[in-house]
Amino acid sequence: MISSTRLLSLPVEGMSCASCVSHVEEALRDTPGVSEVVVNLGTRKASLAYDPAQVTLGEIIGAVGDVGYSVPTAELTLDVRGMTCASCVAHVEGALTELDGVTAAVVNLGLGTARVTHVPDVVSPGAMKRAVRDVGYEAQERSKGADVLDRERQERQDEIRRQGRRLLTAGLIGLVVMVGTFYDMLGPFKAYVPVWLSYRWVIGLLTTPIVLGPGRQFFTNSWKGLKHGVTDMNLLYATGIGAAYGIAVINTVFPKAGFGGEGATFFESAALLTAFIILGRWLEALTRGRTSEAIRKLMKLQPKVARLIRDGTEREIPADEVEIGDLILVRPGESVPVDGMLTEGYSAVDESMLTGESLPVEKQTGDSVIGGTLNKTGAFKFTAMRVGKDTALAQIIKLVEDAQASKAPIQKMADWVAGHFILGVHMLAVAVFLFWFFFGYRMYFDPASAFILSPYRLGEIGVFGFSLLLSVTVLVISCPCAVGLATPSAMMAGTGKAAEHGVLFKGAEAIENASKLATIVFDKTGTLTKGEPSVTDVIVSGGGAWSAHDAPVDQLEGRLLRMAAATEKNSEHPLGEAIVRGAEARGVKVEDPESFNSIPGQGVEAQVAGRSVLLGNRRLMSECGVDFSGLMPRAERLEVEGKTVMFISVDGQPAGLVAVADTLKEHTAEAIHRLHGFGIETAMITGDNRRTAEAIARQAGIDRVLAEVLPQDKAAEIRRLQSGGGPKPVFVGMVGDGVNDAPALAQADVGMAIGSGTDVAKETGDVILIKDDVRDVIVALEVARATMRKVKQNLFWAFVYNTLGIPLGAGLFYPLVSLIISPELAGLMMAVSSISVTLNTLLLRGFKPSVRAGTAEPQLRLAPAGAGAD
Amino acid sequence: MDHREVEKAVANWSAAIYIPISLGAGLTFLLAATLAGNYPPVAKVGGAIWVGILSLIVSMPIVTSRVKKRWRNKS
Repeated sequence: MISSTRLLSLPVEGMSCASCVSHVEEALRDTPGVSEVVVNLGTRKASLAYDPAQVTLGEIIGAVGDVGYSVPTAELTLDVRGMTCASCVAHVEGALTELDGVTAAVVNLGLGTARVTHVPDVVSPGAMKRAVRDVGYEAQERSKGADVLDRERQERQDEIRRQGRRLLTAGLIGLVVMVGTFYDMLGPFKAYVPVWLSYRWVIGLLTTPIVLGPGRQFFTNSWKGLKHGVTDMNLLYATGIGAAYGIAVINTVFPKAGFGGEGATFFESAALLTAFIILGRWLEALTRGRTSEAIRKLMKLQPKVARLIRDGTEREIPADEVEIGDLILVRPGESVPVDGMLTEGYSAVDESMLTGESLPVEKQTGDSVIGGTLNKTGAFKFTAMRVGKDTALAQIIKLVEDAQASKAPIQKMADWVAGHFILGVHMLAVAVFLFWFFFGYRMYFDPASAFILSPYRLGEIGVFGFSLLLSVTVLVISCPCAVGLATPSAMMAGTGKAAEHGVLFKGAEAIENASKLATIVFDKTGTLTKGEPSVTDVIVSGGGAWSAHDAPVDQLEGRLLRMAAATEKNSEHPLGEAIVRGAEARGVKVEDPESFNSIPGQGVEAQVAGRSVLLGNRRLMSECGVDFSGLMPRAERLEVEGKTVMFISVDGQPAGLVAVADTLKEHTAEAIHRLHGFGIETAMITGDNRRTAEAIARQAGIDRVLAEVLPQDKAAEIRRLQSGGGPKPVFVGMVGDGVNDAPALAQADVGMAIGSGTDVAKETGDVILIKDDVRDVIVALEVARATMRKVKQNLFWAFVYNTLGIPLGAGLFYPLVSLIISPELAGLMMAVSSISVTLNTLLLRGFKPSVRAGTAEPQLRLAPAGAGAD
Repeated sequence: MDHREVEKAVANWSAAIYIPISLGAGLTFLLAATLAGNYPPVAKVGGAIWVGILSLIVSMPIVTSRVKKRWRNKS
């Protein structure tokens, strides 16, 4: 039996922390037939590979459900036309269930419908309709569901609304509980508050709906996990809230039970702790969606309709129904619905949303157009070439989504820490309880002690109540709520920001590595240079072939070039083609030669206008006995400049030289200069001879030249640079075209494929630079550094509260100050931790690469990568 | 044995280990509190319950993952 592995990215609901990530990962890894599992908290997605022969999608979803989380599925009803019998039913059901993301399909022959249960983020209605059509039937959506974007927004808004409602309930009642609890301290405001509000049982009655209403989510979620032997942050909250509420109830109902009596009813702790935790969740839901704004912007670009021209008539159809070969009309101001080639008309198209190119690009017959771009001026018709998931926009969205679903090494570490943290916290809570129960209370308890930032006294509290209070506070204050969000939220914002500028990171690891680059190696031809040799110098011999002519030098140059171009007209050698192009560019009419003969390794000979012309290298001239000694110093100087010199003789006499060279791209020198400003060493790798290579490197300002390197040896050179000779490996980036330099791009820590255009799926490399602009290397670098800076800041904010709070919560300073931190203040600190992380990430939205912002080139050499990340 | 049956068996085996561990921890606390000093009965029982709950939370995932690994190696 042949087994084929499929890749899948499943949305997972209910994850709130890094330990949830490890639970879901473990559940999936334990499922037979599932491999390569990566769960990302930021995107709420699980990426995995699975073997359909061993496991079904339904079983995978079941495994996620077993550990207390869920994969959202939806139902879609298709009207299917053309079904006549039971075998049609089987065909349609088979076609639909074959699709990735479809868990079940039930076809009703009588009604002519197919009800498809599917994972909306994995399979689209368009794909389902195509699958049905492919087996010979017609399909249409019965009820148009919201598209992916709307659904995503809807889900987020639902979550915001849900948590908002809970916050409002918990916050308002919590405030009343606060007022009632501190009634005696209200001073002149007492007159406005009824005294019954301060009764313990009233406060208890008010707290109960908070714990059982908005706070119920923590108990139900942690119970779901516990049933399967997993613990998460909900459990920390549930134990904290539950313990505070339970003790308060006991002390109210049975004040003589010995738990501290009426003086130790911490209803307000349970109420405010719930309110603060929900405040954190609400703010998180509010800000989380904004970090993935870029992907939504890209999704928004997907046009909804297309104007199809068929049989001379125009009609509007859904864009996802356009097929390859369809003729589409695009009017000014409309979006191009799919990718294709322009067949009629002329216009300027704004491609900035996909390539980052700020100026509209002129389009005429034969030019390609990209789906999602905006037609600015004229109307045009084009033939659809790529549709559905094959369009550039769909590929870019997929690439960005995949990158956002991946994990950076730093995140794997953070997840591991957070995953183990919760167990450690519970152990610490036991230790804190045991210490204060057996030793601390007896040795240090002071009846005058109080909570920090609270006038509330602990006078009546007993040994159990005091020890439990500190133990609960440790549980709440240690919650690494923000750790799970710290890295993925920044990565999502960073990859999205890069995509806005035409730089596509294929994974979070690429961002992390790019931020550490110390050396960047550039391929020469096509990357730093235009990749197409052109005529740079034409030098006429002072005597020789031209001695009989009395003409100005520029005319003689024209004649020499015309003769050289005619000689090379039938040549297929790149240098010969460059001469022909150069002559045509100078307005020279290139004649056909009367005869042409190629001399391998030396040049060509031809008969042009009745004259015998030789064109080639030194060796050719020397073997044919043509004396070029008079022009030799000029020839050598041109060679030192990195140019290839061709010698031309006419009728056996020296006629002149034509120099050809590959020239630097417009922004190469600027890009290299900016890289130096970042403290990055630059190198150029090429198969060219050293003299030519060094000449180009000099013009570009490159630090190091790796010349005469055969294509197959480029990867070995990268490896050599990575070893660096020192004890620490050097992070080396390689910039080249994704096809020819694939081994070197793969070997580098970060391979950047430049100028890929929008066919991004086939490109090798960790980073894809859509435009053919070397300066985008700077954009990639700046985005990577800014993202990693945010990651590090986020991790700092995520851990700083825990680090400072745990000793406080455990009562380490209590013997000195007789103050302890209350559970609700601990809850507030954790909420602030989450808020700090999400707000800090949102600052990335305003980031603009220096190249785009028009910022002056950096003048200072900053600290090298890694260190510079901060 | 399908996936769900395996999960059920692992859960049962694990419970048979972590529940006694948690009960043991609670009882040990009760014994220690009784021997160590003059604590009120409610404090001793309350403490034993709290220590038992925390021990359950700590031992549950550790035991479950160990049992799961052993089960996987066996099959």
